[in-house]
Amino acid sequence: MEILGLVNYALFMAIFIAIYALLALGLNIQWGFAGLFNAGIAGFFAVGAYTSAILSTAADDGRIGGFDLHFLLGWFGAMLAAGLIAWPIGKICLRFRSDYLAIATIGVAEIIRLVIKSEPVLTNGARGISGIPRPAGDIGYMESQIAYLAIVLAVLAAAYFLVERQFNAPWGRMMRAIRDNESAAKAMGKDVEFRRLEAFIFGAALMGLAGAMFAHFNRSITPEAIDPMVATFLVWIMLILGGSGNNRGAIVGAAVVWIIWSVSEIATDRLPHEYAVQAKYIRLFLIGLMLQLVLRFRPEGLLPEPLRGDRRTSQSGTEPH
Amino acid sequence: MNALLSMDKITGGYGEADILQDVTIHVDQDEIVVIVGPNGAGKSTAMKSVFGLLNIRGGTMVFDGDDITGWAPNKIVQRGICYVPQVDNIFREMTIHENLEMGGFLKQGDLSAAYDRVYALFPDLKERRKTLAGSLSGGQRQMVAMGRSLMLDPKLLLLDEPTAGLSPKYMEQIFQICRDVRDTGVAILLVEQHAKQALAFADRGYVLAAGKNRHEGSGGELLADREVAEMFLGG
Amino acid sequence: MDLLELINFYLIPGIVLGSIYALGAVGITLIFAILRYAHLAHGDLATLGAFIALAVVTSLGISPLVALPFAIIATGAVAIGIDKVFYEHLRERPKIVTVMASLGIALMVRSVVQVVWGVDTQTYSRGIVRPEDYFGLRIRDREIYTVLAMVALVGVLQLFLTRSKWGKAMRAMSDNPNLALLSGIDNKKVVMLTWGIAGGLCAASGFFLGLNTELKSMMGWHMLLPMFAAAILGGVGRVEGAVLGGLIVGIAEEMSVLFIPSEYKAAMAFAILLFMLLVRPTGLLKGKVL
Repeated sequence: MEILGLVNYALFMAIFIAIYALLALGLNIQWGFAGLFNAGIAGFFAVGAYTSAILSTAADDGRIGGFDLHFLLGWFGAMLAAGLIAWPIGKICLRFRSDYLAIATIGVAEIIRLVIKSEPVLTNGARGISGIPRPAGDIGYMESQIAYLAIVLAVLAAAYFLVERQFNAPWGRMMRAIRDNESAAKAMGKDVEFRRLEAFIFGAALMGLAGAMFAHFNRSITPEAIDPMVATFLVWIMLILGGSGNNRGAIVGAAVVWIIWSVSEIATDRLPHEYAVQAKYIRLFLIGLMLQLVLRFRPEGLLPEPLRGDRRTSQSGTEPH
Repeated sequence: MNALLSMDKITGGYGEADILQDVTIHVDQDEIVVIVGPNGAGKSTAMKSVFGLLNIRGGTMVFDGDDITGWAPNKIVQRGICYVPQVDNIFREMTIHENLEMGGFLKQGDLSAAYDRVYALFPDLKERRKTLAGSLSGGQRQMVAMGRSLMLDPKLLLLDEPTAGLSPKYMEQIFQICRDVRDTGVAILLVEQHAKQALAFADRGYVLAAGKNRHEGSGGELLADREVAEMFLGG
Repeated sequence: MDLLELINFYLIPGIVLGSIYALGAVGITLIFAILRYAHLAHGDLATLGAFIALAVVTSLGISPLVALPFAIIATGAVAIGIDKVFYEHLRERPKIVTVMASLGIALMVRSVVQVVWGVDTQTYSRGIVRPEDYFGLRIRDREIYTVLAMVALVGVLQLFLTRSKWGKAMRAMSDNPNLALLSGIDNKKVVMLTWGIAGGLCAASGFFLGLNTELKSMMGWHMLLPMFAAAILGGVGRVEGAVLGGLIVGIAEEMSVLFIPSEYKAAMAFAILLFMLLVRPTGLLKGKVL
C-alpha cells in the first residue's frame, strides 16, 4: 500500500514536471533564444487551459460551449488562442527593449485573470469548468495515470525535438545573433522584428498547450487552480537554474525546481496550522532568494548554453544592450 | 624642459585586439598638438588611451611628473586632464550654465571664478546661459562642451574632432578659441579630420597610420612634406 | 447625471487615485531614466511602506499622517539596501537581468509582508469617514491630504533636482551617463540617492492607497501596471510627466466605470500603456525610450 502510494505520488509528480518542462521550453524560446522577457506566463497558461476546456467539454447551460470536440482539437485550439493573444502584444512591444514587454505581459496576465473572474459566460466563474475529458481517462486509476504521463512525455519529446531542430537551423543562428548583438540585429531591420515576433508567439503557444494539458489532467479548471505569480515565477527559476538557451537545461530545471517546491510543501504541510500559512510565504521568499543566488553565482545555470560555433561570447541567457 | 604629457610606446586597444602599436606622442606646456591621419589610423583611440578608456598593454603614460598609466578616468580628471568626446559631449536637457556646473562638479567651493573664465572665452554662451544645451547649433554645442571641460582648470585639454560636421566659419571660430585657451596656459591635444586646416593652425602635429607613428613635426613641416601630402591631403 | 455628481463620484476619486499613482510613477521614471531598467518590485515596495506605516501607527499609537515620515525614511533605506545586496552586482550585466532580479525581489518583499502582517485586510483607523461638503463638492479630509502631500513631495523633489548640486548630478546621469562619469560625478552616490528617493515615494504611494482604501498584501502589485502606464504616458525621465500621467491614468480608471464594467477598471492602465507604445512611445512630454 505504502509503495503504491509512493508510485502514485511519483507519477503525479512526473506529470507535473513534464507540464512545467513544456512551459520552461516555451520560455526558453522567448528568453533563452530571443531575449524576450515574458512576465505573464501564467496568463498564456490559463488561456490554453480554458480554451481547451471550452472546446472539449460537453455542452453546458449558462456558458458558451462546450463544443464536445476531440481533446486534440482542444489542445490545438489552446495553442492557437495563446499565440493569438501573444501576437498583438508582441507586435506593439517588440520594437522596444524587453523591459516594455515585461510590463505589458504582466498586464496581459492581469487582464486574463480579470476576464476569467468576471466572465462566467466563458469560464463559468468561480466554479470553473469541470468534466474536461482526459485522454485514456476511463481505464483504471493507475493505468490512466501512466497513460497520461506517456502522452505528456510524448508531447514534451516532440516539442523538444522540434525546438532543438529549429535552434540548430539558420533560424536559431539568426535568433542568437539578434540576441547577442543588437547593432547587427538592427542592421537586419524589419526581418528581426518578425523573427522576434515568431519566437514570442511560438513560446506562448507552447505555454498554452501546457495549460491545456494541465486542465485535461485535472479534468477541471478553476480560477484558483494556479497562483499566477507563483506559476510564472516557478517557470522563470526553472529556466534560469536549468540553463537558459539550453533546451535540456529547461527540462532539468523544471524537474529540479518542481521537486524542491513539492518536497518543501510536504515539509510545511506537517507544521501546525498557525505556522503552515506563514511557511507558505517563507517558501515564496526562498524561491525568490534562489533566483537572486542563481543570477549572482551561476548565471549560466546547471547546463550552460552549448557553444554552437556561432556564439561571440560565452555569457549565457543574456542580451547585451 | 620636461613634456607635460608624454605617451611612450603605447600599445593597446579595446578588448583583445591591439589598435595602437608603440605610439609615442608628447605635448609640451602652452602647446597645441594635433593628431591627423586617414580613417582607422587610431587617432581617436590614441587620445582615449590618455584618458584611461582602453586597455593599455605596453608603454607608459606620464603626465606632469606622474605615471598615469591605467588610472581611472575620474582620477585623471582630478589630476588635470579633461576630455571632450566627439559626440554626446553635452547634457542636452540641462541649461548651458548647468552644463558648466557639472563640468566643475569635482571642484570644492566657489565656482564663480571658473564661470568668469569660461564665459570670457565664450561670450555667446554667457548671454544664453539659461538655454537648454540640446537646442543649440552644432558649433555652439561644441563650445558648451569645451566650456564644460575647462571648468576644472585643466592643464591639458583633449579634443576629439571638435570641428566634425561644422561649417568653415565655425571651424575657424573653434580654432581661434583653441588658441585663446592655449594662451591662458592650457595645453591642447586634438584629433582632426580636416588635416590641412588643422596642421596650419597647430603648433605641432603627428601623423598616425594603421595604429603607428608615421610622421611628426611642426605644422608647417608636415604640410610641406610630400609623403604626408600624398597620403591624405589630396596631393 | 449632473456635473456635480460626475465630479464627486468620478473626478475627485480619480484625482486622489491619480495622485497615489503619481507618487509611485515618479520613482519608476527616475529609476528608468537613471539606472535604465524597469523596476518590477516597485509596487511591492509600496506595500511594504504602507505596512511599515501601519506598524508605526499601532506600536506608537500616533496618527497615520505622523507615521508617514517614518515609513518614507524606512522604505527609502530598504530600497537602498535591496540595491546594495541584490542589484549592485548585476550592474555590469545586461540591464534586463536586473529586471528579472526585481521580479524576484517583488515576490520576496511581498512574502515578507505576508509573513509579518498576514494576508488579511487591515486599515489605519476604523470607522467610516463621511465626506465634508464644500459648496456641493463632497471631499474627505484624507483625500485633501493625499493630493496635498503628492504636490508637496513632488515639489520638493523638483526643487532638489533643479537647485541642488546632487539633484543636478542625478539629472546629468539620466541625460548622458558617460559624460557624467567623465565629469567625475560619483555614480554610486547618484544611485543611492535615486533609490532613497524612489523608495520614499513608494512608501508615500502605498500609505495613501492604504489611507483611502485598505491595506492588503497584494495592493502594491496591482498598482504596478498603472504606475508604469503613468510613467510611460508622461515620458520616461520626466518627473512632471509622471505626475501628469498618474493623474490621467487615475482619472481614466475612475471614469471608465461609466463605459465598461467596473471589474475591468484595471484594464484602463493597460490600454493606455499599449496605446502610448503604439502611437507615441516617448510619452506626452518627450521622454526617453529604452
